Amino acid sequence: MKILTEKNLKTFLKSAEADYNVRVPINLHDGTRALGKIDEGSLAIAGGVIPQKITNVFFPQMETILTIDSEKVELPKPSVKPLLVIGFTAQDADCLEFIDRFYSEDYRDDIYFNKRDGAVIVCVSGRCGNDGEFLKIAGEKCDLELICDGQNYLLAAYTDAGKALAENADGANADDSVIQQLQKESDSLPADDLELIQAASKLLLEEKVPEEFWATISDRCIACTSCNLVCPTCTCFDIFDRKTDSKVQRWRMWDSCQLDGFMREASGHNPMGKENIRTRRRIHHKLAADVTRWGQLTCMLCGRCDDVCPTGIGIKAVCREMVDKYGSA
Amino acid sequence: MKKVLTTCPYCGTGCMFYLVVDDDGTLVGVEPSNEHVVAKGQLCVKGWNAYHFVNHPDRLTQPMIRRNGKMEPASWDEALNLVVSKFKETQAKHGNDSVAFFSSAKTTNEENYLMMKLARAVFKTNNVDHCARLCHSSTVLGLAATFGSGAMTNSISCMEQADCILVTGSNTTEQHPLIGSRIIENVTNNGAKLIVADNRKIRLARLADIHVRWKNGTDVAFLNGIMNVIISEGLEDKEFIKTRTENYEELKKIIADYPPERAAEICGITPKEIVDVARMFAAADKAMIVYSMGITQHTHGVDNVKSCANLAMLTGNIGLPGTGVNPLRGQNNVQGACDMGALNGVFSGYQKVVDPTTREKFEKAWSVENLPAEPGLTITTAIDAAAEGKLKALYIMGENPMMSDPDQNHVREAMEKLEFIVVQDIFPTPTSEYADVILPAASYAEKNGTFTSTERRVQPVRKAIEPVGQSRTDWEILCDVAQRAGYDGMKYNSASEIMDEVATVTPIYGGVSYERIDQVGLQWPCLDKDHPGTPVLHSGKFARGLGMFSPAAYLPSKELPDEQYPFVLSTGRCYFHFHTGTMTRRSQMLDREERFPYVEISIEDAKELGIYDRAWIYVATRRGEVKVMAHVTDVAKKGVLFMPFHFEEGPANLLTINALDPIAKIPEYKVCAAKIRSAE
Repeated sequence: MKILTEKNLKTFLKSAEADYNVRVPINLHDGTRALGKIDEGSLAIAGGVIPQKITNVFFPQMETILTIDSEKVELPKPSVKPLLVIGFTAQDADCLEFIDRFYSEDYRDDIYFNKRDGAVIVCVSGRCGNDGEFLKIAGEKCDLELICDGQNYLLAAYTDAGKALAENADGANADDSVIQQLQKESDSLPADDLELIQAASKLLLEEKVPEEFWATISDRCIACTSCNLVCPTCTCFDIFDRKTDSKVQRWRMWDSCQLDGFMREASGHNPMGKENIRTRRRIHHKLAADVTRWGQLTCMLCGRCDDVCPTGIGIKAVCREMVDKYGSA
Repeated sequence: MKKVLTTCPYCGTGCMFYLVVDDDGTLVGVEPSNEHVVAKGQLCVKGWNAYHFVNHPDRLTQPMIRRNGKMEPASWDEALNLVVSKFKETQAKHGNDSVAFFSSAKTTNEENYLMMKLARAVFKTNNVDHCARLCHSSTVLGLAATFGSGAMTNSISCMEQADCILVTGSNTTEQHPLIGSRIIENVTNNGAKLIVADNRKIRLARLADIHVRWKNGTDVAFLNGIMNVIISEGLEDKEFIKTRTENYEELKKIIADYPPERAAEICGITPKEIVDVARMFAAADKAMIVYSMGITQHTHGVDNVKSCANLAMLTGNIGLPGTGVNPLRGQNNVQGACDMGALNGVFSGYQKVVDPTTREKFEKAWSVENLPAEPGLTITTAIDAAAEGKLKALYIMGENPMMSDPDQNHVREAMEKLEFIVVQDIFPTPTSEYADVILPAASYAEKNGTFTSTERRVQPVRKAIEPVGQSRTDWEILCDVAQRAGYDGMKYNSASEIMDEVATVTPIYGGVSYERIDQVGLQWPCLDKDHPGTPVLHSGKFARGLGMFSPAAYLPSKELPDEQYPFVLSTGRCYFHFHTGTMTRRSQMLDREERFPYVEISIEDAKELGIYDRAWIYVATRRGEVKVMAHVTDVAKKGVLFMPFHFEEGPANLLTINALDPIAKIPEYKVCAAKIRSAE
């Protein structure tokens, strides 16, 4: 396994641009971390979770799904070069694994897989989280992984695509003891948050959370929809058309189950017409409904909804209140 | 794909975010700024959707001229030459003040400055105004009279520091969501006391320690009642009153007429509610008042504002973090449009046109002579003058009076009587239907400039994409008009150069430059290049020296319910739409939430009248009748209807009354008498 300095890493990523559309965490104009092209800002590999959902490279906020003119219907084409995306955390890789499943099972979402097929996923882990936080090592959930030893990055390759890329990297060989030490640190990370949402999930599955609880949460919800829009496992979208004289374009855009219109029927009746029901759904879907449907929790604890919620009712905060109130019952 | 840092075009909170542009130059999303001091990585639903309308196919993309009653495409040369010749011709025939200019709280500071410069320096009229007239003109005048400066005294961050917050006439979580969220966090995390004085059961009311549902329009009696209790129980801040204020004896005299029993009777509440509010507010170490249209949009709007200021001074809650009188400005740049002098009586920085020294200063700076000395027409009085046939030509930039002004039939009459109307906008509107010339403008995403938020923070607006079609930025259009009118003093290479000029003639913006506001902006007053800006006004000393207690007696609203029209009708905005709906109704997610014009009606009234939720009903006032959907909700109080004004097909302003505050000329949007009947 090679060790790359930040400079070597940049050279390595630049060389990958020959075959890939490379997306990497950068600092935007005011220092906000986001995905971008290598030369669009200074590299910001370290710093933990990227605030916006990283899966938006495959499922963006708004995209064309077909164009109709007087002669033909045109579907979006796969890009010539596949994507190479750096910046997934181990939790993000879990999210991606789930939405891959979601978009391929039963009905395959070609628009999503146009971007996803052939894409190389690079996780970032180790001693480079926000405020010195250690980021869990993802392992074989990704193609390549950059494991930070506090200064430089160990380059771990897991898949054929990852290994082929890693061969081009320029760096000294890492000492096994370093890798073992980092793995040990990763394995010993506390699992408090996981235990918390598992406990919350159990309460929901056993129907131990009364209706009035949700009202106390939804009273604080300002329906900004941010929790949905930053969640890497939220997959809902709405469809709309734009017509000009020469063509019609059909687009899709992110939707939010926190909006009344999300499930309002044409009649106007809405089975989710109350805020407390919508708030319940947001949590219940990830921690109970998906457990029943997919056999897994679909909150991977990335923390984005807790960070982005203006009133402090992200999923972890709500689970904490829920478990505090009903956990011992 | 690129990401461009800019300022949100919706409310006055002033969140900055990144516009996401795809490789074809289409806006495809928004990402919040994590570093911005107000946004902090967060946005409301309108912010998340602020990209969506920009590339809508309805955009105006070509100048149009009315020929033989029909709008036809024209070149920029034809359109602008016609504008200039018609305005000159009108002035030659009917005098300088026969034309008026409506500026816009949606456009940048630079564009507002140029609009007022165009009106004053080129066309020599003070008939220039904008929609602040309809929202906070009573604030500008009321706080200027009491404190010496008509703006929010404190900063948004102060919402997190107050021990007690009185929210009155502001549905904060819907209209200024990221200010409302701070109030929620302060209440839930720190246990701050929350008093909501609002007829409607808004979200904040659910979390309030006290929610007072007084009768609409009884604000002065309510606030006087509170002050009466504070004085009679000796809870006032004697030291502050003694050292920082004047006219206290006069306040005491008038307030004495409002013991809680009498105030409560006027307000339709219990005396205990008034006593409880007074004690809670006075007991807090740091208490703040947050208000908005519920205070300002009355025929006694200025009195309401002054009464808020009186209460803050009486309890010494001015000049410190976590306190203050905090009017929340409704539009992205309504603060800036006022600051820039797009008002009938002031140049930029609230420098009065009646002052000869000020006029001389601007004459020198602009190389002109004989700037007009008398305050001009306001938005509301200009419409009246047009309806009377006194005003002949109107240049409207980014305003939609057919939808936003009171009594739509009255506005229609004015539009029909005007001989020449120019509309400069990004979308067709009910107002542009009356235009003789339409000038397609660039949207906020297509230009550089600055907006000033409600906390007086001057922030950058950045170009993310090219203007669509043939549209041009408002400032370039205004400069072109000035030049064609023979004036050479409006030539700029960039928006930044305009701000440099603003800084030289506007003391409160003296230290503002693009270089300094690159990321988080600057809060005015910012007097020079080394001045750090001012987060809290009136620290140690009021802008006018001593704070002036300005007591007012309660005056009833102009049109109260009676047997024929038994309901009170109040109007405003909903969460998902913005003002006249031109942008939000062209945003998929926002329009889906509220697709139909509606009226909120209480559960009790609906039951009594046999009206069910989502039924179509007619709401009528003495001005007209509108068909809307009934929203039966516990938000509405018995006897009171609430209608948002976003919907062309169900315009609330067909119903509102053109009754104005005598000083501020703000209309009474919050109270008129109405009746309802089923439409099914």
